[in-house]
Amino acid sequence: MAEMFQILAPDGTVNKPELVPAFDKIEAMYRQMVRTRYLDDRFMVLAKKNQMGTYAQFGGQEASQVGSVMALQPGDYIAPMYRSTGACIAYGWDLHLVIMYWRGHPEGWRIPPHLNMLPIIIDIAAQFPHAAGVAMGLKMAGKKNVVMSWIGEGGTSQGDFHAGVNWAAATESPAIFVIENNGWAISVPRAVQSKADFLMRRAEGYGIPGYLVDGNDLLAVHHIASKAAEHARAGNGASLIEQITYRMRPHTTGDDPKAYRTDAETQDWIDNRDPIDRIRKFLILEKQWDAEREVALKTEVEKEFAEALEKADTYTKPDPAALLEYAMVNPAPHLIEQQQVLADRIRMVK
Amino acid sequence: MTQLAEKPNPISEKKVMTLAAALTDGMDIALERDEKVVMYGEDVGVMGGVFRVTTGLQGKHGKHRVFDTPLTEEGILGTAVGMCAVGWKPVVELQFGGFLYAGLDQVISHVSRYRYRSRGRWNTPMVIRFPYGGGLNLLEQHHDSPETYLTHTPGIKVVFPTTPYDAKGLMLAAIEDPDPVVIFENIKLYRSVKEEVPTGYYTVPLGKARKVMDGSDVTLITWGAMVTQCEAAAKAALEAGISCDVLDLRTLVPLDLEAILESVEKTGRVVIVHEANLTSGFGGEIAALIAEKALFSLEAPILRVAGFDTMHSPFNPINHFHRPEPAYIADAIRKVLEA
Repeated sequence: MAEMFQILAPDGTVNKPELVPAFDKIEAMYRQMVRTRYLDDRFMVLAKKNQMGTYAQFGGQEASQVGSVMALQPGDYIAPMYRSTGACIAYGWDLHLVIMYWRGHPEGWRIPPHLNMLPIIIDIAAQFPHAAGVAMGLKMAGKKNVVMSWIGEGGTSQGDFHAGVNWAAATESPAIFVIENNGWAISVPRAVQSKADFLMRRAEGYGIPGYLVDGNDLLAVHHIASKAAEHARAGNGASLIEQITYRMRPHTTGDDPKAYRTDAETQDWIDNRDPIDRIRKFLILEKQWDAEREVALKTEVEKEFAEALEKADTYTKPDPAALLEYAMVNPAPHLIEQQQVLADRIRMVK
Repeated sequence: MTQLAEKPNPISEKKVMTLAAALTDGMDIALERDEKVVMYGEDVGVMGGVFRVTTGLQGKHGKHRVFDTPLTEEGILGTAVGMCAVGWKPVVELQFGGFLYAGLDQVISHVSRYRYRSRGRWNTPMVIRFPYGGGLNLLEQHHDSPETYLTHTPGIKVVFPTTPYDAKGLMLAAIEDPDPVVIFENIKLYRSVKEEVPTGYYTVPLGKARKVMDGSDVTLITWGAMVTQCEAAAKAALEAGISCDVLDLRTLVPLDLEAILESVEKTGRVVIVHEANLTSGFGGEIAALIAEKALFSLEAPILRVAGFDTMHSPFNPINHFHRPEPAYIADAIRKVLEA
């Protein structure tokens, strides 16, 4: 049995005081966790009200996503999947664009030039070979940057998981592969995916460092992600991290977990292992946080969301021309001909 | 507009090359001209590819430019997407066209969509090349002609060089093209065709068909190794006093519809020939376009000569009944004339 790396116990007490980073860094991450939790829940409300499309919540995985992505430095890259919205927001994705993305507004899909964020990938595991390619390309260019990518425990059963991790390992490329083991692939429990006790065991087969981490312990996640990033930056290649966490929310807007798991199981995680509660307790114990600051943070986040929503709501409506844009840099004649078909259809509907 | 030939610029020395050698020469020049061009795949480095198309390139340009990789089509194609994101221009080889299927998800779901999905932030200006087609005595998946999966996939350009001159010029054009381009290299043509090719740099533009033979009775529309078969059928027909307009499409995407319609309007009779199996083959798309744009120019129903709707059979001694032969094309020519 591999030991799960932990710095903070669920009650907020410290196991490894020597590994606690500077408080300003912890506070910055804590703020992102509170912020992303609030936004995630607001997005679900928007989706339920049909003011956003299908949305995949990450609630419960804030330590896992914020703690890992905040180990990155300027010039690094991320290769997210559909449940990585928390990581993307903490990485700097503009909030009104996030809302517009999940609404299917073309301008929300336009990845801003300031963000080294690859597109959110929907089909399971395909982002891993992309991340391996980015890593190999960074290494070949002599850059000191790294790439980080996330996958669920279900995604580890895909061929692309193996193709990506093995490639980066074999080419000694600077990639950090994070398995967010949240227990459930929609309705399918972790045990169905693999006979192995822990999925990070595969690291040995790839010849790279593998880590088993308490994914709801912000400090543990951040410590290991930083270690893997330093390892990659120093030219030592890829790492595989398994973060044990829990999807406290449904799979997506359309999912009802009552069909496959007990409320008691979910409630136990919410009551006893919530990643935000744990780091908050720690900060309060260390006298680095208090109720007053909590209220101020909540007000700040509410205001930010209201402003972003307003910006998204009042954004210029999607232009149908977007349907035919960016299909090819040098469009083939049939695409140019379809511009006329689109123009005709717009006329027909008006 | 049909082009008979493009003049290389600058005009340079010429050298007799096979199609394979011309492809190698094109890649060599691309590596020389653009330091962002890299080539990788299975066996492409030390060995120079199973068909030796990358022979000498690693030795000349270095292991950092031309290299062997893990044996994984989804890895080769998926990493190429990531390589593009950080500014490289990968030219990747798949060992055989039939091995494309193992990586097809990356092509359909990512190579073709990355630019659209990111609204122009991430482009995929890669080249994917592989040997395809029948006519040798190889194994299963070594003779497939999978163009339809790619022509049906939005965002991908599809190229079929059939002469050494075109092979080099289309290769250079494909590498320079800002969109993902797939080059179908015919295994039968690799070393069976030879001609003088300029040794310097030139390109053959994507989207311009080549008029192989000029005629007025029947239009033969084809690509890849079937150009040779159509040429043989057309030459035989000419002896019987029937002249065929033979079009080598060179690229299926972008398609030179203008050249097709110009010829159809002249002859009114059309035979489309391809090596891939019949149903939902690209010949059906061409027939539909002719029906939409030039129906009233037709004097006879359009005929297609193609492979059977089975897998490419492993029964090599009888596969010439599957792969279109000049005799079957000649028969179709007769039929469209009698209609």
